[in-house]
Amino acid sequence: MRHLADIPRWCDDVTDSPSPTRFARRSLLKAAVLGPRDESDFSPIATGKDDAGAAERSLVYTVTGRILDVSPHILVLLTERGEQRFPLAASAEAWRGGLVSPAALRQGDHAIIRRRLPGGPVIDRIWAEIGRVTGTIIERDGPASLLVDEGPAKGRRIVLIGPEATGRIQVRFPRLEPGYLIDVIGLKHDGYLQALIPATSQPPYRAGHPPAAPMVSGHIPDPVSGTAVWHEPGEEPESLLGLAYPALDPETSCEHAASAPPACSGDLHAVEEHAVDPHATGSGCVRLPYLSVGSLIRLRNDCAERTRVVPVTSCGATARLFCDRCVTCGTSRKGRIADLTMAAFVELGGALEVGCFNATMMIGG
Amino acid sequence: MLTAAREVQIPLLAVMLLGACAAKVWRALRPHADTARTDPTGLFPAHLQRPIMVLMFVAELGLGLGLIGTAGKFGDIARGVPATIVRTGTALFFLIAVGALNEMRQRRPDSGCGCFGELSGTPIGLRTIARPGLLCASAVAALGLPPLRMPSSSTEAELWLAVLAFELALIAFLSPELGEIMVRLGYSEPCELRRLPVGRTMTALHASSQWRKYAGQISAAEPSDVWREGCWRFVVYPGSARGRPVDIVFAVYLQSRRPVIRAAVLDADTDEVLGPAGTRESVVI
Repeated sequence: MRHLADIPRWCDDVTDSPSPTRFARRSLLKAAVLGPRDESDFSPIATGKDDAGAAERSLVYTVTGRILDVSPHILVLLTERGEQRFPLAASAEAWRGGLVSPAALRQGDHAIIRRRLPGGPVIDRIWAEIGRVTGTIIERDGPASLLVDEGPAKGRRIVLIGPEATGRIQVRFPRLEPGYLIDVIGLKHDGYLQALIPATSQPPYRAGHPPAAPMVSGHIPDPVSGTAVWHEPGEEPESLLGLAYPALDPETSCEHAASAPPACSGDLHAVEEHAVDPHATGSGCVRLPYLSVGSLIRLRNDCAERTRVVPVTSCGATARLFCDRCVTCGTSRKGRIADLTMAAFVELGGALEVGCFNATMMIGG
Repeated sequence: MLTAAREVQIPLLAVMLLGACAAKVWRALRPHADTARTDPTGLFPAHLQRPIMVLMFVAELGLGLGLIGTAGKFGDIARGVPATIVRTGTALFFLIAVGALNEMRQRRPDSGCGCFGELSGTPIGLRTIARPGLLCASAVAALGLPPLRMPSSSTEAELWLAVLAFELALIAFLSPELGEIMVRLGYSEPCELRRLPVGRTMTALHASSQWRKYAGQISAAEPSDVWREGCWRFVVYPGSARGRPVDIVFAVYLQSRRPVIRAAVLDADTDEVLGPAGTRESVVI
């Protein structure tokens, strides 16, 4: 048994790491010792520290920021690079709790936008104040208020289901009870998410009891096809191109970081009884090779036919609990293989309000 | 012959009960076992599931030991009444199991019976329900038996063995766990899924020729980074070569014996590869 005191300083505690460049350098070191995977793949050792590698891993379709002003033809956004103006195409669509015209967006809204062409100025799609909660229901207060545990790394969120969305959500999530899983998309508000769209169908089992994946003989096939979903940034940078991987190496990664339950008022015992540590539920629904933060994954959106090399940036163990399939373009062959950041999901051509796309993943970039 | 058939039931029932008990303990003790609970406790509210699980465990252990303890006689003391109580309890236990499994099959058809821990993940079918029915009948058949004794002749011993073999074959036919056991016996987890402690990687590395080759250049006792990708674990040590700060990277293949180990040296400032870089051969990660 490992104790916290035994965990050396090189463990992948992303949030506490004083040098996140350590993770970024891993692919380079790996390529140095094993050689690039093949000529066609992205290889940091081949590009060294030049701009090509950075371009490969930077956002070309996606911009995130806060809306400063919006008119029928121009959107002004406060981004990491300062104030930026984007012309709106006539066909541009916006989402703010539902499809709206871009002019209906509000100043101060947090927005994520997708360009029509890589690096181009014209906007194709805007999502404003979109959020998602994925995890285990640990408390229900009345018919429409839920406390959801998103796992040790992400903490807990309050979800409110308005009367206009109740029917839609209950059709897909018939058991809105403590101990069962939930995955909903909606509008972010101060301190809670207003759930509007079910992101999947509720698994019939309790959160702590996902069925075991079938055993694998020989090596795991590479590439692996399955479902890619997205998560809110939390403490990550909003424009991070990365993914939370469901199977980080338990010896050096986040498995040890299962946080102590937060102190909160109310019937603590009753709440904690339903909290599930996804690391303790076995391998989950898809058997994936163990990787680490900094590992590169070449991910393809099978629906949009767009491919990017995406680094593993955090732990996505909660994805292990969901044995669902994505049906965006046909039925995905496996369950959740990647939990992308919002920016990466949009960059790969995903529609945030849909919640998933069918994906194919090749490990090693 | 009928007496011989009845006598076989007691050790058989005891082995079944203690085996089920051991399988449950095995699942509970494994730190990262598949905890997907596939047993009739799933029919109960969450806060009752653990107590009921413990109750089932205690009942199986108690009845299994009770059957053994009351099978014979100690000195001249026959254990007629306790034996009858234990055997009646065993029959009742399996009768309740038949009802619970039938209920479970209707309410949660995708769940296994959990009778032998995680081996019992196959959805409950008629065969799974018939098994406790058979064991219930075995326990009823054992009621009123005199204390067990060793066979008095080879013919009687053969009869014992024949009855035992027939009944074991019948139980095997009714047990979906047998297929799971056969699969597991022949199963070797792929290296990319196998958990291997960092300590074992370090031990293998420190005993390797690659380590001896670069040990003189290493300037720290502890690695500056350790991570894993698939079948490889990477270990980085800071060092110096020809007056330049370098990073010495070792890649250790994750297998128990004589793992393949590769090494490379990079300039810590420019990332230029100074030592033997990896070959371009196909590498399973």
